[in-house]
Amino acid sequence: MLRFVVRRLLLLVPILLGLSILVFLWVRALPGDPAAALLGERATEASIEQVREQYGLDRPVYVQYFAYLRLVIVDRNLGTSIESRRPITEEISRRFPATIELAVASLIFAIVLGIPLGFFAAKRYGGVFDNASLVGSLLGISIPIFFLALILKWIFAVELGLFPTIGRQSVEINVDHPTNFYVLDAVIALDPVAFADAIWHLVLPAIALGSIPLAIIARITRAAVLDVQNEDYVRTARAKGLASSIVDRRHIFRNAMLPVVTIIGLQTGLLLSGAILTETVFAIPGMGSWLAEAIEARDYPVLQGGILFVAIVFVLVNLVVDVTYALVDPRVRLS
Amino acid sequence: MSVTQLESAEIQLEAPSGLWSDAWRRLVRNPAAIIGFVLVALFILTALFAELIAPYDPREQNLALLQGSCCPGPSAEHWFGVDDLGRDQFSRVVYGARFSLLIGVVAVTVGVTFGLLLGATSGFFGGKIDTLIMRLMDIMLAIPGLLLAIGIAAMLGPGLLSIMIAIGVVNIPIFARLLRGSVLGQKGNDFVLAARAVGVPRRTILVSHILPNSISPVIVAATLALATAIIDAAGLGFLGLGPQDPSTPEWGTMLTGTVRYLQTAPHLAIIPGLAIVVSVLGFNLIGDGLREALDPKLRGRA
Repeated sequence: MLRFVVRRLLLLVPILLGLSILVFLWVRALPGDPAAALLGERATEASIEQVREQYGLDRPVYVQYFAYLRLVIVDRNLGTSIESRRPITEEISRRFPATIELAVASLIFAIVLGIPLGFFAAKRYGGVFDNASLVGSLLGISIPIFFLALILKWIFAVELGLFPTIGRQSVEINVDHPTNFYVLDAVIALDPVAFADAIWHLVLPAIALGSIPLAIIARITRAAVLDVQNEDYVRTARAKGLASSIVDRRHIFRNAMLPVVTIIGLQTGLLLSGAILTETVFAIPGMGSWLAEAIEARDYPVLQGGILFVAIVFVLVNLVVDVTYALVDPRVRLS
Repeated sequence: MSVTQLESAEIQLEAPSGLWSDAWRRLVRNPAAIIGFVLVALFILTALFAELIAPYDPREQNLALLQGSCCPGPSAEHWFGVDDLGRDQFSRVVYGARFSLLIGVVAVTVGVTFGLLLGATSGFFGGKIDTLIMRLMDIMLAIPGLLLAIGIAAMLGPGLLSIMIAIGVVNIPIFARLLRGSVLGQKGNDFVLAARAVGVPRRTILVSHILPNSISPVIVAATLALATAIIDAAGLGFLGLGPQDPSTPEWGTMLTGTVRYLQTAPHLAIIPGLAIVVSVLGFNLIGDGLREALDPKLRGRA
């Protein structure tokens, strides 16, 4: 196990080096450049040159790359945003929690609803509930996240006024943000109003972002339960007279959860992708909307640092998923 | 013709045909798949005959229709209402089918073609080539799909072609992995061993023995990828990376400005959105039906 983890972590090094080179070349291949984008249309040649010099953009690309590597590895620094002039690490520490909070909330929504839905659909295989859940889950993966977000916003925020339309917290809320996870911050501050407010802002975006994982989790759970139900050990358990609720819980549910755990892990990329769109619709200042804006502004340091950071998180989450899988399933040997 | 060539030609003749007719029979008996076919047929016909179906020019503005308010909803003249520039929403949705279909088909073709080449090469030859190709795919998969697509589209500059390429490239590692796994699975089969034993050239084994048997998961994945491609294309359009000319009736682009009008004119968001849902649902239903029909575990069942 330990050897597997260490090897996977070592494998991260070439992947990240390759990725950093690709991202580095990619930002420089974007049409336009950050100096021109920063200074606007009326900038003079001289002032553009000056900004380029200030950020070292006039040097050869490979010199820039090694300077960047040095900065990241030796100084543990991701640079400064050209647009906002704030350190990238500081921006990430503010924005990353927003995205993670949203992703976790959507995943909780998807798991809490998806697993029982799939389980009961399988228990009533072929029945009305089963067919309805099949149609529902197919519809779930067919609705673009941003369209669902727009519709939810229209019905529940604009028309009914039940939920806030944008942002992460109401203006009148005043709590410190030591972690920038607003829900957590409210707990730390022991402020129930702020807590409810933070949750309230999460509901609609989490449902929009969680819709596809919900559909996928429900489908996989259903398929897994159907598979396990016909196993010999389930028949044995029933034959020896165990109560059906115990067979459901101990024999079927536990074994059916294996593929579900994997599929939950595989949602990370989807959640990060979807967060870009959800954050746009609900004006949430997270990683997704930040990177999308950075592309617009040609903010090289933000793109380099931000994308590398997202990739590291993504790869680490996948590693955690693989390890969890091995822990849950004794049949899996990591090698 | 030498004996080996004759024999290898004979072996190639025995292509599995039972799988496909069997799968087809099961597919047409699946009501969900039939609904999928109807939706997709509707979508393709709309795209092909947009000129005949649309009552107005999708780009023609008629500000007189707005009369100071945005925007008149459905009426007898304008079935789906008009947008914030007085353009007929129905005609725009109809023409939008053309762009979505085009983007979807080209993007998936790009993804399947390159994924097929890379995955088959990787799986068949193994060794250093395999390691090199698969590490490259790992790097691509280390970036969340939409972010990668945004990146490529931004690099190529906004426009229809860059959307197609961007979504196509995002699909490459998915198909490459799928095909590699499939080819690896087939490589150890007895019929491949038999073909090798009688001296069928390596390339022929790959092309006429391994690929046809590896292709069914690719067909299922490609159908589902078409659905995803339409959604992703709309997503890129929604984020403003769509066609350079904002008057182009692309579904995602049509949704971009609608947040502002949610209160006064929700039909501006609902109608193009529903168009996306219906066409994507069609491909998903077919893909699901295909998966069940091609599943060897279910073969023989009606």
